[in-house]
Amino acid sequence: MATAAHAEAVAPPAPRVALFVTCLADAMRPSVGFAALRLLEEAGCTVEVPLQQTCCGQPAFNSGDTRDAAVLARRFVELFEPYDYVVAPSGSCIGMTRVHYVEALAADPPWAERARRLGQRSFELMSFLVDVMHYRPRGRALAASATYHDSCAGLRELGIHAQPRALLDAVAGLRLEPLEGEDVCCGFGGTFCVKYPAISNAVVAEKAAAVERSGAQLLLGGDLGCLMNMAGKLHRAGSPVRVYHAAEVLAGMAEAPAIGEAR
Amino acid sequence: MSALPGPAAAATVVSFRRRVEAALADPTLKTAIERTTGNAERKRAQAVAAFPAFEAARERGRRIKDHVIAHLEHYLLEFERNAIASGAQVHWAASADEAARIVVELCRQARARRVTRVKSMLGEEIGLPHALDAAGLERVETDLAEHIVQLAGDRPSHIVWPSMHRTREQVSALFRRAHRAPHREETIEAMVDSARRELRDKFLGADVAISGANFLIADSGATCTVTNEGNAELCTSPPRVHIVTAGIEKLVPSLPHAFALLRLLVRSATGAELTQYTTFHRGPRRPGDRDGPQEFHIVLVDNGRTRMLADDPLRTMLRCIRCGACMNHCVVYRQLGGHAYGGTYPGPMGAVLTPVLDGLAHSRDLAHACTLNGKCEEVCPVQIPLPTLLRGWRERSWRDGLEPVTLRLGLGLHTFVAARPRLYRLGLALALPLMRGFARGGWIRRMPGLGAWTAHRDFPAPERRSFMARYAAGEGRRAPADEARR
Amino acid sequence: MSARAAILGRVRAASGPHRSDASVVHAEARALLADAASIRPALGAGSLVEAFIARLTSPRVAASAERIATVAGFPAAVGAYLQARGLPPRIALQPEAQLRALAWAGLELHDEVAPDEAVAVVCARWGIAETGSLVFHSGADSPVLAHFLPLHHIVLLRAADILPWLEDYAAATAGQPMPRNVNLVTGASGTTDIEGSLVLGAHGPRYLHVVIAGG
Repeated sequence: MATAAHAEAVAPPAPRVALFVTCLADAMRPSVGFAALRLLEEAGCTVEVPLQQTCCGQPAFNSGDTRDAAVLARRFVELFEPYDYVVAPSGSCIGMTRVHYVEALAADPPWAERARRLGQRSFELMSFLVDVMHYRPRGRALAASATYHDSCAGLRELGIHAQPRALLDAVAGLRLEPLEGEDVCCGFGGTFCVKYPAISNAVVAEKAAAVERSGAQLLLGGDLGCLMNMAGKLHRAGSPVRVYHAAEVLAGMAEAPAIGEAR
Repeated sequence: MSALPGPAAAATVVSFRRRVEAALADPTLKTAIERTTGNAERKRAQAVAAFPAFEAARERGRRIKDHVIAHLEHYLLEFERNAIASGAQVHWAASADEAARIVVELCRQARARRVTRVKSMLGEEIGLPHALDAAGLERVETDLAEHIVQLAGDRPSHIVWPSMHRTREQVSALFRRAHRAPHREETIEAMVDSARRELRDKFLGADVAISGANFLIADSGATCTVTNEGNAELCTSPPRVHIVTAGIEKLVPSLPHAFALLRLLVRSATGAELTQYTTFHRGPRRPGDRDGPQEFHIVLVDNGRTRMLADDPLRTMLRCIRCGACMNHCVVYRQLGGHAYGGTYPGPMGAVLTPVLDGLAHSRDLAHACTLNGKCEEVCPVQIPLPTLLRGWRERSWRDGLEPVTLRLGLGLHTFVAARPRLYRLGLALALPLMRGFARGGWIRRMPGLGAWTAHRDFPAPERRSFMARYAAGEGRRAPADEARR
Repeated sequence: MSARAAILGRVRAASGPHRSDASVVHAEARALLADAASIRPALGAGSLVEAFIARLTSPRVAASAERIATVAGFPAAVGAYLQARGLPPRIALQPEAQLRALAWAGLELHDEVAPDEAVAVVCARWGIAETGSLVFHSGADSPVLAHFLPLHHIVLLRAADILPWLEDYAAATAGQPMPRNVNLVTGASGTTDIEGSLVLGAHGPRYLHVVIAGG
C-alpha cells in the first residue's frame, strides 16, 4: 500500500475541486458533505458536486468482484477527471480511488492509466486541507474533550495521521485526549461487519471500551463507516460518548445533533 | 443481511462459524491470547524502537528473499550440491504425503523405535506427527509447547507459541498425569523443571531426531535452527540419524544473508535480538567429532510452493520467515486464537497459505474474515502485501463461484443501480424513509435486512433526504452575493 | 518422473525463460550485503569488551560475566564460581588442549558430560558484541553436548576473540569448511511457553557464566 505524496508543489489559485461526498455520507449523514463543502470553500477552492456521482466501487472490489468494481471505477474516473482535484471526506474511498483503482482496472491498461493520473489529484478531505491548501479553520470554537480514531485505510494507505490533529488543534477550547490503540482497527471493515458480525462485535467492543477509558466527551474520526460502527456500539452499551465526523467539528457544525441523535 | 452459502462452500461456512463461536465464547482463551500477543506486540515495539535502521533492514530483507525467489532453481541446486558434498543425503518431496512417507521410510531404514522432534511448523504441515504415530514409532516432542500439545492431543494454535491456548492449571494437570516424577509445587518453574527431567533421557535414548529449518544456507549446504530451550541441539546431536524437513523457500545465499534475516526474524517474533540458540547444522559427524549423527538427511518439500511461485503476486508469500508478527497484530486473530482458522497456519499468513495447502473451497472464509486494515503488512519484516494477497483469494473465490448467492445478487444489483444515477437517487429516496420507519429516537435497534448489524450494535437512523437530494435542491450552495464577493 | 525433476521443472516453468548466469546471481547476492552498516543496529559507546558484556548481562540475555587479566586465571575463577554457589569441586572440562593445560589444582576433572551434569567448563571460539553471543564449533576437542547438558555452563572467552557484528563471524570463517555444528549461544536456556512467563533452564543450561580474559 502506497503512502500518498502529500504536498503538491503549488496548488493553482482557487482550484476547481470536485467533492465526492461518498455513498455513506450521502445516504446516512449529509451534514458531513455540507461540512466538507464549507471547509473547501473557506480554504479558497471553487467546489462543484457532480450530480452523477454514486459509489466508488469499494464494496464490489473488496468482495472479489473486480468486474463490477471496474464498471464503477470507470464511471468515477470519467466523472471526476475534468477537475483539478477530487476530494472526499473518507480515507477508505480515496484509498480505493488512489491506490486500488489501478488494480481494479489492471485488465484495461488505458483506463488504469487514466485512473492512475486522477489518483494523483485525489485526496482525503483533511489531508487536502492541510497538505495542499495549507488551511486551518479560523474562529472555530468548541468547548469539549474529544478523542480521535485513525481509520485504517486513511492511516496506512494514505498516511493520514498528523493532518486531522493539526486541524483540530486550531479549534479553540477543544481538548484532544489520547485514545489507547488509536490505530487499532475498529472492526468495521466494510462488508466484514455484516458477514462476520460476531467477530466484528468482539473487535468493536474492545474499541468502545478504549474510547470510554479515554474519558473524552466526543469521538471523532475521518470515516463514516468506522464512526457509525463505533457509535452504534457505544450507544448499545449505554455510553454517553457522542460521535461526529471531524469535518463537522472543523466546519463549526458540532452544535447539530451527533450521529444517532434524533433529528 | 445473512448470506446464504453456495453449495460448495456450505460445509466450510458452518464449521468456520462454529469454530468462531466456540472461540469467542471462551474467556480463558481470550486471556491467553491477550497475554501472548499483547506481550509480543510490546516486545517487538521496544525492539524496533531500539533499532533505528529497522526499516532499512526490512527493505533489504525483502530484497534478499525476492532475489532467492527469482533464482530459486539456482539456489536449490547449489544447496543440494553443497549439502551432498558435506556428507548429507538430500531428498525431494513434491507433496505433504510424499514428505511424510520419506521421513517414515528413513526411520524404518534406521530401525528406529524412538523419534525425537524439534518444533517445526512444516512438520505439522506435512502431517508428520500423525504419520509417525501411524507407523508405530514412539514420537517425543521436545519443545516445551509441543510437548504440552502432544500430551493434550490437540494442535498448535500459534506458530511461535504453539500451546499459548493452554492455562497453567491445564498444563499442571497434563504433567501430573504423564510425567514420571512430576512437579511438587504449583509453580511454572517447577513445571518446566518437571519437563526438563522427563525429557532428558528421551533426548539421549532416541534413534532418530527430526527438526525443521529456519534457513537453508546455499553456499554451505547447512541448515539453521533458531530456538530458545536447547532442545534442538540436545535432540540432534545424540542419535544415529538426524532428518531435516524444510520448505524450498527457506533458502538463502550465504551466512551473512541469514544473519540479515535473523536480525528481522527474532525481533519481529519475540522482541529479542537473537534467540538463545542459533545453530547451523552441516552434514553428519566428522571423523574425530565427539558427538553428532552418523547420517544427516535433508528433505526438501514443495507442497504448493511452486504453485505460489508461478503466481504473481502470490509468490511474495514465499518471503515469509515465519515470525508470527502478523497474527500478533491482527484484530481478528486476537479475538479468535489459532484453532478457529482450522489449518496448520493461523492468522493473516495462515489465511493466505491455507487455500494453497487445503484448497480454496475449504478455506475461503479465512480471506474474508478480515477487515483489510493492513496492520499485518505494516509489521511484516519482509514486506509481504498480505491484504493484497487476501483480496486476491477473494477475487479467485468470486471467479470460482464460491461466493454466496445472496452476495452475488446483492452486489450485482448494487452495481447496476450505482451505474445509473437517476435509479440510484430514486432508490435512496424510497429507502431512506423506509429505514426511518424502524427508528426510535435516532437509532434503529432492529430492522429486516440489518440483522447482522443490529444483533450487536444500534444503527444510526438516516435523515429523510440524502445529501445529493438536498444539494440538488439548492442547499449548501453559495448565495449569489457570496459569489459576487469572490 | 522423480520428485526432484518434477519440482525443478515447476520451478523452471514458474521462473520464466530468462536464466541468469551463476556469476550474475552471485554478484547480485553479494550486492545485497553491501553497506552493511546501514542495516544493522548500533553497538553503543565503549570498547568492544564493554559492549559485549553489556549485552551479555542484559536482562534479556541473562548471563553473568567477569573479567580476568590472563587465561591463567581461569581455573581460579571457576573455583570461585563453584565455591560461591556451594557446588562440589567437580567439573566436566572440554578436552581442548590449551584448556587442559591450565593449572586445575583442587578441581576434579572428567571428560564425559553426564545427562545430569552439574557444571561443564568450555572455551568459546568467538564472542559477538552485537548480541552478546558466544560461538562454538563442534570438533574432536569440542563436544556439542557440553554446551547443552549441564546446569551451569562456564565459558572462557579471550577478549581478542570478541567480534563486533554477526557478519564478522562469517568473514572470520570464510573459505573454511563449516563444522558439523556451529552453535551461537546467546544467554541461558529459557522458555515462555507456559502463560508467557519466562523460566530459565528449559532444557539447556540454567546458568551461563562467561569469563573474559585479557583486553
